[in-house]
Amino acid sequence: MRTLFFTMCAFMIFNISMAQEKFTFNGYVREAGSGEELIGVTVLIRETGGGANTNPYGFYSLTLPKGEYTIEFRYVGFKTKRQKITLDKDISLNIDLEEESIELNEVVVTAEKEDENVTNIQMSKNELNIQQIKKLPALFGEPDIIKTIQMLPGVVSAGEGTSSFFVRGGSADQNLILIDEAPVYDPSHLFGLFSVFNADVIKDSELYKGGIPARFGGRLSSILEVRTKDGNNKELKGKAGIGLLASNLMLEGPIKKDKSSFIVSARRSYIDLFLRLANQKNLVYFYDINAKVNWRANNKNRFFLSVYGGRDDFNFDGNFGFDWGNKTATFRWNHLFNDKLFSNTSLIASNFNYGLGSDDKTDGFQWDSSLAEYSLKQDLNYFINPDLTLDFGYHLTYRNFAPGKITPVEGSIFKEVSLQEEFALDHGIYAGLQHQVSDKLTFQYGARLSIFQNVGKNTVYTYLNQQDNINPIRTGSKEYGSLENIKTYVNLEPRFSARYILNESSSLKASYNRMVQNTHLISAGTVPLPFNTWAPSSTYLKPQIADQFALGYFKNFGNNTYEFSAEAFYKDISNVTDFADNARIFFNEDLATEFRQGSSEAYGLELMFQKKKGDFSGFVSYTLSKVDRTIPGVNQGKSFVANYDRRHNLNVVATYDYNDKWTFGGNFTYGTGRPITLPSGSYEYGDGYYADIITERNGYRLSDFHRVDLSATLTPQKNKGKKFETSWVFSLYNVYSRKNPFSIYTRITQDNDGNIIGDGTQKEARLIYLFPLLPSVTYNIKF
Amino acid sequence: MTKQFKNIFIAAIALVSSVFFFACEETIPIDTGDLAERVVIEGMVTNEQNHYVKLTRTRSFYGKGPADRIQNAVVSVSDDEGNTFQFAHNPDNDPEKTGFYYPVVNFHGKVGTTYSLDVEVDGERYNASEKMLPVTSIDSLVVSIDEDEKADPEDAGSFYEILFYAKEPQDRKDQYLFKFYKNGEILKDSETDIYVTDDVLLGETIDDVETAGFYQLGEVAGVEMYSLTQEAFIFYSDLVNLLNSDGGMFSPPPANPRNNLSNNALGYFQVSAVDRETIVVTEPDGD
Repeated sequence: MRTLFFTMCAFMIFNISMAQEKFTFNGYVREAGSGEELIGVTVLIRETGGGANTNPYGFYSLTLPKGEYTIEFRYVGFKTKRQKITLDKDISLNIDLEEESIELNEVVVTAEKEDENVTNIQMSKNELNIQQIKKLPALFGEPDIIKTIQMLPGVVSAGEGTSSFFVRGGSADQNLILIDEAPVYDPSHLFGLFSVFNADVIKDSELYKGGIPARFGGRLSSILEVRTKDGNNKELKGKAGIGLLASNLMLEGPIKKDKSSFIVSARRSYIDLFLRLANQKNLVYFYDINAKVNWRANNKNRFFLSVYGGRDDFNFDGNFGFDWGNKTATFRWNHLFNDKLFSNTSLIASNFNYGLGSDDKTDGFQWDSSLAEYSLKQDLNYFINPDLTLDFGYHLTYRNFAPGKITPVEGSIFKEVSLQEEFALDHGIYAGLQHQVSDKLTFQYGARLSIFQNVGKNTVYTYLNQQDNINPIRTGSKEYGSLENIKTYVNLEPRFSARYILNESSSLKASYNRMVQNTHLISAGTVPLPFNTWAPSSTYLKPQIADQFALGYFKNFGNNTYEFSAEAFYKDISNVTDFADNARIFFNEDLATEFRQGSSEAYGLELMFQKKKGDFSGFVSYTLSKVDRTIPGVNQGKSFVANYDRRHNLNVVATYDYNDKWTFGGNFTYGTGRPITLPSGSYEYGDGYYADIITERNGYRLSDFHRVDLSATLTPQKNKGKKFETSWVFSLYNVYSRKNPFSIYTRITQDNDGNIIGDGTQKEARLIYLFPLLPSVTYNIKF
Repeated sequence: MTKQFKNIFIAAIALVSSVFFFACEETIPIDTGDLAERVVIEGMVTNEQNHYVKLTRTRSFYGKGPADRIQNAVVSVSDDEGNTFQFAHNPDNDPEKTGFYYPVVNFHGKVGTTYSLDVEVDGERYNASEKMLPVTSIDSLVVSIDEDEKADPEDAGSFYEILFYAKEPQDRKDQYLFKFYKNGEILKDSETDIYVTDDVLLGETIDDVETAGFYQLGEVAGVEMYSLTQEAFIFYSDLVNLLNSDGGMFSPPPANPRNNLSNNALGYFQVSAVDRETIVVTEPDGD
């Protein structure tokens, strides 16, 4: 590690000493129609072949020797713009790029060369094209980025109808899910049928699976970064969508033209209205609200405020119910210190909470749990020269975990009980350098120093045997005052990536990253529930540490029409958090006795073939992977395949723009069945109970999963030139109505009405499957 | 204990499946492999005189009929005062009681005493020991009409419910197992229900708690309340989780209940103090 730092410093000094008379050329790149900043635009210097990309805020900066240059701005789906400049002083230039579109359709086409797949140093990253996702078939007609993420190479789902995803052998809680930089602790609506991301406000989203830049930390396996739109700063626009289960409305427009804009969007399900009509007493709904304002004070200062709030509410028979939701807020200040130094300062708050209650007079109670997080992030980009960019910064996070409090209804049999709250401070200091060594070779190296403190106020108990989860015996306790340090964990996370261009159309990439996770999900199931809680690293819970190596070959064909990549990875996790067999994870005052940490090993091969351009676009992804865990105290200490270990995964996703009126979409997904624990026998006990005998965790597999979905989008031609543009999206989910296994449980043999057959001693296994063929239609209006 | 008074979270997890409006299910065959046969022990010593030890063997998952009963075991229970009580297999030769062992000389179990079980089957020894904890007494049972059930009864006339009253001691840690009876027959809302609780969340006043099921006029309702050790409470909680597992999707993967028996035996040796109350279902006093 030390060597790496020395090398890094040496490179910097070397480069700085080479300085001659140079000037800086910088600015923002925006979409001409709406004024939205564009992320990842290629800024190419014709004369040298070198260049840069716009950063997540649409900003670029190039420092070049005095001279005349032709600069090209290239971006998928946009017309390339050429700009001649005479660089004899520092120049600041904002660029507007025009969308390359066919009439009224939001079709993404590009006529320009686009070789990011080969030339970008970043490997193991997938960008999600939201316009394409909207054309794909969707469950109940709700476009959902997480459902598309589940089809990417290296990503596995636990089954349909869930919003969990598993990246390169990591569990669902190892993904850092960010909306405008704020973490979302539970991305699910309706237990995962939909995700919290409303497609109408998403500007851009990316999934990092490996080679993770030093500016990210905190989770082991992936970073899903979702950015919302800034809002049109030229004119007022809107969109309304009416779907089968939910409707949404979005408005965006300038507050002050070209200076400041807003966007606000709301989505609400109306299943409860149908249920009410059907005279059902069980009511269910969810909603999402996204809002953002941004203000360009001048070219050096920009401000954003983005908020999200969403909630699910379930009510049964009018007296029992539960709800959960996320709230996030991000305030950002982009500041240009000088031509080369770009700064982003963010203040972030995120809150996740759930409640569960009954107002029954006998056993009524209200159960509340919450997690609050507040962060300050200072990120800096230093554009040293076109070959060298330094990213560095400091992140400070404070977290408050309130795992549970029970308040009885007056007169109920319960008493007030609350679990101890926990607090943590998390410091991240990082630096990462992107260094183009030659035309062919680029390195990105850096490190993140994670300093995690479990702090008071708290009482830490010592146990006679900390692993005794049957009858835990506390032998002592120590009190800690507010913010008093209880336990500190310091970890250095080295990050390294390299890219070597083999020829014009192919390259090799390699990466290594270490990630550390100090917030642990308290869940023993395969798919997290919104009722799960989180806990910080503490006296009894060590930080989880993942080391990942990845190697990839990238090639483009047919003048960059087709992109191909093959990546192999190996990921080793130490102290992976798991729980004892039979762990009692809900409302356990001695939860520490249920923790079992061990190791996880995963490796795999991922193939991706993608066509981004033309009327016909899409991708084919294949993942071969294996992940197992060895946890002392779980499954008698023997290794077992993880709950989400699925050997083969094949996905095909395609859209076809047939003409101005019709667009078609389709996908096919195939996956090896999920591992499951099934009985090897049974026995009789007590008053007619027939219990299963379990001999091996995850010793069996569900049968293979496969499904085809189709969609068609109709944009009537009479729209042409009208103020309102309408479209219809028709979807067919599970076209051949495959009974894909969700889970298996056992019971005493019963008939279809639930009456026991025979003498009540015989057991049977029941397969649960979710969705048969489901048609849906959504109507959209844009204005 | 009551319809709602289970592990609240099991209820919540069960509701998750109802959330998947479109969820369907069907019976499928599963390959359960071969299982080495194991001994199952169901032992019970109480503060009354109804002690028994039932010995059976495990069976294949698709086994039918009653479990294979073990008739040739040597069974004894001893206490921490040096007394040993021999148990004999089905002394009355009651065909219903094959596999059940009863004390040769009956005895009263005592609260505070630790009992040890010793079972020998085919040369293999199985042991367990457990302390008898005091049980909270049942204050009273009251008959009440369930208006919802009366509006739409599943069985005609069967809409009376039994409410339970007790005072939970707040100065000690208690665990309880409840059993409900209708005319002497065990009564459960669902065949996998086990009415078990600890007192972590319980206040002192336990009033108006509904017991399982509904009754008709004239039926005899019975409630039994057993004290459990923490280990026994864990065993029953684990058993509830196992019997109601969803296969590990949202709930933890199914696992064998933790018990107090040695040598890999399944089941439990339960030592409990019992309180019981019965009531004949009559029309409640109008108010």
